[in-house]
Amino acid sequence: MQAKEFKPLPAQPAPESTIGPIAWMRENLFSSVFNIAVTVIIASALVSIIPGVLDWLIFSANWSGTTQADCVKDGACWIFIKAWSQQIFYGSYPDGEIWRVNLSLMLLAGVIALSFILPARLRNKVAVPAYLILPFVCLLILNGSHLGLTPVSTDLWGGFSLNVLIAAASIIIAFPFGFLWALGRQSDMPFARSVSVTCIEFFRGTPILALFFMGSVMLPLFFPADISVDKLLRVWIILVLFMSAYMAEVFRSGFAAIPKGQYEAADSIGLGYWQKTLLIIFPQVIKVSMPNILATFVMVFKNTVFLLVIAVPEMLQVIMTALSNSNWLGGHAIEGYLFVGFIFWICCFSMSLLATSIEKKLDTSHKN
Amino acid sequence: MFSTKTTEQLKLETRPSSTGAKSFYNNPKYRAWIYQSFLLIFLVGFFYTIVSNTLDNMAAQGIKSGFSFLDSSAGFDVLMSLLPFETTDSYFKIFVIGILNTILVSAIGIIFSTLLGFIFGIAYFSHNYLIRSISIIYVEVFRNIPVILQVIFWYTVFNSLPIARESINIGDAVFLNVTGLYLPQLVGEAGSGFVYGAIVMAIIAVFCIKKWAHKRQDASGEQFPVLWSSIAVLVLLPLLALLVSGVPFHFDYPALKGFNFRGGITVIPELMSLAVALSIYTGAFIAEAVRAGVQSVPQGQTEAARSVGLKESKIMSLIIVPQAMRVITPMLNSEYQSLVKNTTIATAIGYPELFTVFAGSALNQVGQAVEIMFMTLAIYFALNMFISFVMNHFNKRTELTTR
Repeated sequence: MQAKEFKPLPAQPAPESTIGPIAWMRENLFSSVFNIAVTVIIASALVSIIPGVLDWLIFSANWSGTTQADCVKDGACWIFIKAWSQQIFYGSYPDGEIWRVNLSLMLLAGVIALSFILPARLRNKVAVPAYLILPFVCLLILNGSHLGLTPVSTDLWGGFSLNVLIAAASIIIAFPFGFLWALGRQSDMPFARSVSVTCIEFFRGTPILALFFMGSVMLPLFFPADISVDKLLRVWIILVLFMSAYMAEVFRSGFAAIPKGQYEAADSIGLGYWQKTLLIIFPQVIKVSMPNILATFVMVFKNTVFLLVIAVPEMLQVIMTALSNSNWLGGHAIEGYLFVGFIFWICCFSMSLLATSIEKKLDTSHKN
Repeated sequence: MFSTKTTEQLKLETRPSSTGAKSFYNNPKYRAWIYQSFLLIFLVGFFYTIVSNTLDNMAAQGIKSGFSFLDSSAGFDVLMSLLPFETTDSYFKIFVIGILNTILVSAIGIIFSTLLGFIFGIAYFSHNYLIRSISIIYVEVFRNIPVILQVIFWYTVFNSLPIARESINIGDAVFLNVTGLYLPQLVGEAGSGFVYGAIVMAIIAVFCIKKWAHKRQDASGEQFPVLWSSIAVLVLLPLLALLVSGVPFHFDYPALKGFNFRGGITVIPELMSLAVALSIYTGAFIAEAVRAGVQSVPQGQTEAARSVGLKESKIMSLIIVPQAMRVITPMLNSEYQSLVKNTTIATAIGYPELFTVFAGSALNQVGQAVEIMFMTLAIYFALNMFISFVMNHFNKRTELTTR
């Protein structure tokens, strides 16, 4: 007797009541009396607020024109931002030389792209030195006096490009320092360990603003009287030390995530300490710490705005200067602050999205 | 027999240095000494250079050293002070006022950021799509905007409020205008000490009830409604004292006199904008921590709790929250510490906390950067250590007890 061939029935469609927008709304908006009440309250609040806000932001906003007199409509005066856009992005950098700022930004983007595109075997050998050289190359380009270009004093650097470049330059140089401090913290040498711990805890425990302040009032005292160190350079030193402490903690948690077997395997094939650390441990630490490194970068990027307290013309400082300009005394503070907030939000939010996606990719646990 | 040596010992024995070493620098023990002495020499040289440079520079600029400036009169006024203050008071008084103002704004910030953080963190798990979205939008917007920008933004907003005559009036008790927020103040009269005493007694009683209930449950398995009895004690005892002593309290309402309000509690716009910005900013981070904490509790815990027959409300309070707190508490610790450090941004709007008033104004006049920065930083370290101490104590109670 021949067995009857098994033929599965075609799948039934899901019940009408569980799919489609109506079911979604029933589930997510109107699932209980309490939820219905909440939905109605929130929806009515949104309906009453959003049109007005959109109207102010977009529909009755002033978009075209060049002076404050052109802001005739009730809405936001975006002409203010337009008129000051060059200062907002480049500070007082001379008009003809702005290509140098753009070049630096492009070099930064290029090196970041390079580290993603390069094949794995070249990545560490090429991308790491490229990153480490980058801040100094940008410094040469922007300053210009050693390359035969018109020298531009650091007082003129500013705007959003300064926020980006100084944050990037700080975190890049903080990498080796932070790594060294993290190694010191878990080393067997008691003195080296206590020095590392002191450095890390000091720079993590001090408010960044106090550090900037020390950079501007105390650091000049530390150098010999005949050497005057540029203000921006002092800020950079401070930011590097501050970031190093945070990076050291990031790396420490990275070290903790590396299985002990990796160290033992490296020992067993006879690698020395630095070979083991740089060839076996470091690449894995970088990989697992990537989300935290990005989070730290977001933090330093937001902290660059604090520079306005010591009168470094970063983006917000430029806006505040523009607000007190006699041609623009119409009270455009809200527009200015919203614009700065929006730019920072775009940058930080996209970086935190990237961090989350990397974290998801790395997370191979089967929890829940 | 089996070797009982550890891998480390075996490694040491097989190293060339311990099997008749050829050169001493291949011995890790000596190497460690050499490296560390290099480090020591470097550090000594580094600090020697810094100290000698600093002393030279200070001598050249005619800056005195030492802490004697603390006794001299400051000669400037502070915007807000919790202690009575005159311009002739000393720099030390300025220092104390700064510390108190820092603690005030930190405490307000910690309370409100925790409230906001827990509300929005829990809201993330709501069944309502709108509540969920609002929670996500709150976290993602305010976390990603520099806090100093938020402070300046709120300061601008509070500075564009109406003038005193056209104040926003809430029930003739609370007034909000460009010069600040005016709240009624509760003033105790003679006999109010009796009520305060009753409150203290009630708190002690609650602790006793809790301990006794715990003991009883351990012994007999019977539960006692601790929460309801505690609330009853906390409400009834002070209420009884209040009635017995004939309500020895009255409210001091702010009232418009001349151009401004008198009486009640005044919250200056600087304090308001700083507290609002710090609470919202830190609240976003705390909400994220709460979300991570709740998500860290495996689904199986809820299922297991259901399977042993716990009620849904008990599952949350007995199973989920204690486990989530293990993840949340360390994060709260670091968020509170960063909140205290972030109070320094007050200097952008001029709220007279420690950094603005001491490391700013006083330093400007005295010029003794090293001493003043040392004192300021010492206070921030002390405050952070205090927070760390309290939170670690709290953490110990929620921590997973392992071997």
